[in-house]
Amino acid sequence: MKRLPLTILLLALAACRAREEAARAGSGLAPSPTEAPAPALGFLDESRDGTPVEGGVLRRRLVGEPTTLNAVLQTGVPEQQVLQYVSRQLLDFDARLALAPGLAQKWEVSEDGREYRFFLQPDATWEDGNAVTSGDAVFTIRRILDPKVPSPVFKPLFADVEVVEAIDAKSFRVRFRARDSLHAYAFALPLLPEKRYAGHRFLRVRENRAPLSNGPYRFVGWKTQESIELERNPRWSGTRGHFDRILFRIVPENSVAYRALLEGSLDETSIDQSLKDRSAADRRFQACCRVVEFYNLDYNYIALNNRSPLFADVSVRRAMTMLLDRPAIVRSLYRGSARIISGPWAPDSPAYDPAVTPLPFDPRAAAELLDRAGWRDSNGDGTRDRDGKELEFDLLASAGSTAGRQLDEIFAAELARTGIRARVRPIEWAAFVERIDAGDYEAASLAWAASDGNPDPFPYWHSSQFPPTGVNIAFYANPAADTLMEEARRELDSEKRLEIYHRLHRIFRDDAPVVFVVNASQKYAFRRRVGGLVTSPLGLYGFWPGPLSWWGRPNESVDPEKRN
Amino acid sequence: MVGQTQRVRRSGEEELTRFLLRRIALAVPTLFGIVVVVFLLVHLAPGSPASALGSAESGRRVSAAARAELRHLYGLDRPLPERFVRWLGRVARFDLGESFVDRRPVSERIREALPATLALNGLALFFTLAIAIPIGVAAGGRPEGPFDRGSAVVLFALYSTPVFWAALLVQTLLCVKLGWLPLYGVSSDPAPAGFAGLADRLAHLALPVTCLTYGSLAFFARLVRSGVAEARAQDFVTAALARGLSRRQALWRHAFRNALLPLVTLLGLLLPGLLSGSVIVERIFAWPGLGRLYFDSILSRDYPVVLGLSLLGGVATLAATLAADVAAALVDPRLRESG
Repeated sequence: MKRLPLTILLLALAACRAREEAARAGSGLAPSPTEAPAPALGFLDESRDGTPVEGGVLRRRLVGEPTTLNAVLQTGVPEQQVLQYVSRQLLDFDARLALAPGLAQKWEVSEDGREYRFFLQPDATWEDGNAVTSGDAVFTIRRILDPKVPSPVFKPLFADVEVVEAIDAKSFRVRFRARDSLHAYAFALPLLPEKRYAGHRFLRVRENRAPLSNGPYRFVGWKTQESIELERNPRWSGTRGHFDRILFRIVPENSVAYRALLEGSLDETSIDQSLKDRSAADRRFQACCRVVEFYNLDYNYIALNNRSPLFADVSVRRAMTMLLDRPAIVRSLYRGSARIISGPWAPDSPAYDPAVTPLPFDPRAAAELLDRAGWRDSNGDGTRDRDGKELEFDLLASAGSTAGRQLDEIFAAELARTGIRARVRPIEWAAFVERIDAGDYEAASLAWAASDGNPDPFPYWHSSQFPPTGVNIAFYANPAADTLMEEARRELDSEKRLEIYHRLHRIFRDDAPVVFVVNASQKYAFRRRVGGLVTSPLGLYGFWPGPLSWWGRPNESVDPEKRN
Repeated sequence: MVGQTQRVRRSGEEELTRFLLRRIALAVPTLFGIVVVVFLLVHLAPGSPASALGSAESGRRVSAAARAELRHLYGLDRPLPERFVRWLGRVARFDLGESFVDRRPVSERIREALPATLALNGLALFFTLAIAIPIGVAAGGRPEGPFDRGSAVVLFALYSTPVFWAALLVQTLLCVKLGWLPLYGVSSDPAPAGFAGLADRLAHLALPVTCLTYGSLAFFARLVRSGVAEARAQDFVTAALARGLSRRQALWRHAFRNALLPLVTLLGLLLPGLLSGSVIVERIFAWPGLGRLYFDSILSRDYPVVLGLSLLGGVATLAATLAADVAAALVDPRLRESG
């Protein structure tokens, strides 16, 4: 019987390596004399710094309103931020991306890699005193499988389930149709209380907006478009949070959240580059707040439609990568806090092989590649052409993101110098997605947000996963890469699996299926009263115990400058 | 002869009733037209509730197959005419359906956001009139005088100040630096009870109301000004002055009345605007109103909510126009015959 703890150890080792990487990247930043010193990048672990203060209220910001507090129906970040305090998961990701026991105290994987058995914590209870049972787990997974239940986050993870059933009150088994070393990642899954749903319509029951807790905090109230309040769950026996109450306030605008931080009505908010620049020169900010900056697993890229006659040729795609001046983008757009990537993972993912150096910025070599591929300016109109077709295309961009827009414009300008005409076309998000999905695009600027530590490239790069089946939106196909991705899924030994990923990484770099751009830092601002922060490649709260380690000195309701 | 006298007798109330019925009969197809257009606009716009999942920043990618499943769940794979008839059938039973986003009844979501928007827009309209009318009357009393010119400059400067910029500026100044007013939201958390609670709510209203008010001052003040300025030169004002009324009395009682008519007509058209929140102000002040609900629903392609809010807006506009027509007809019988 193959056990997973080995995987955990290896992932942890890999994460340690990643941590050194991050530290190295951080030390390369030399602040110019005119700017405030950039905060050190890399992992932050204040969990042992200072003496935690117990009690008080933590005021957190939500960018938008959660659509639901039913864990199975969740679709976005706001839901996850609230549910993390209320709904414990079977398994958790720890700060180093490894799977750790959550509501399940242990789990076993069968010899053939298809069956998972979970054993729940004996003392896990719901807020109403009932035990958390295998019935709840089976109910939750069956609801995910129910075709009438929209569960876009979990459905793909459980699509391959053959059987799910309880063994006894505290254990259950899930059998998948195919062996896949990565099935375990599906069980980073919060559970629903079956009893609360019995006899109610699943999508409409009150429970979805007032969830029963089995975690460290319990739900108190939700004012639509205003706030969500949580308080300690007295029945909780695991790792305790330091605050008595957690108050989430819904503040849609970044610049307003920044002011709320200065004013003291929020304790934390994510910020963007421009607010970070502003905070450095803002004395009021420096007196009460600090910037927390680190790398996570997100990255951005420019998707190329590999089925388009323009980008079917690998040398054209490589030329595209070599025409994007990524070092300059890191310097100017990200003020140094971004890392160039050479494949479909961020540098802190164990799947990323730091030995695979990115293709250089080299317009001359790129021009030669294009010449050799037959793209020359034969009609003298300034744009390269081949067989009567001009090398020109629309570069689609999501209208919402400004940083992305700047990058697209820089790229288009660079391409124009080499005789490629790219027109940047900002489109509203839902319309944008629809075009990408339909393969109705040539190039598109996209961001990749990793919601968990699963590095499996299969759904995004395997040739069987072209839309509409999957999300290989670049329509990338390479038989050698396909074979390796299949092998990785079958390989139960995590060290060998990492080797396969590293080989894949080299292929991705050389094939340049898309233009991999950078892994930019995540930026947050915190009131200085909050301590105990721990960051991870999964962000500030994508892991366990995440924000539970935070604590706060009593809130200075007025900020110090105002008081005197 | 006999017939004629009957007709004369009938005119009064019956004419009015006939006029009303005719107007309502006309309103029904108009409303239907609005509904059809909105329905088509909403459904033919690119994107769908399934593609709106996530955002550029949280790029959780959902496969097209999973999206197709969602479309089926929402009934979006049915032909458009069928969806329209189903929706219309529900609306006829006063059921606006359920939100795709949180599965709650659309009417409940609208009811939740309505008071916040009504309070905000109602107060803003009140202050706009309370400030703009005296300015307009004073300016119209002496056209091209120093007050007229000075107020014009100030009002147009305000009119051309972008609201997001002004809002952030007053927030920084009054909330962050001076700490006089709350930054955002409708009440403090926890909200104080009783009289202090009311004061707390009013304090939260102050800035958003200001931001909604300052930009529309110019419009109303200039409207009143031109009416007053025009009337001021006319005989009835001169006569009033000759009767011994003071300038102020003559302006307010006589000249202003002249300016009141277009203002009242305009108000009829503005009242439905009370229901349509201001997206920018509501977002900046994190105000839980209809503007944000509408905006978010469009982004997430929450068709039932978008349709519900559009229907509400359409009905309110038609009702207000109808009311304005009736009021005018009551005042001026000539309108009944032609209308």
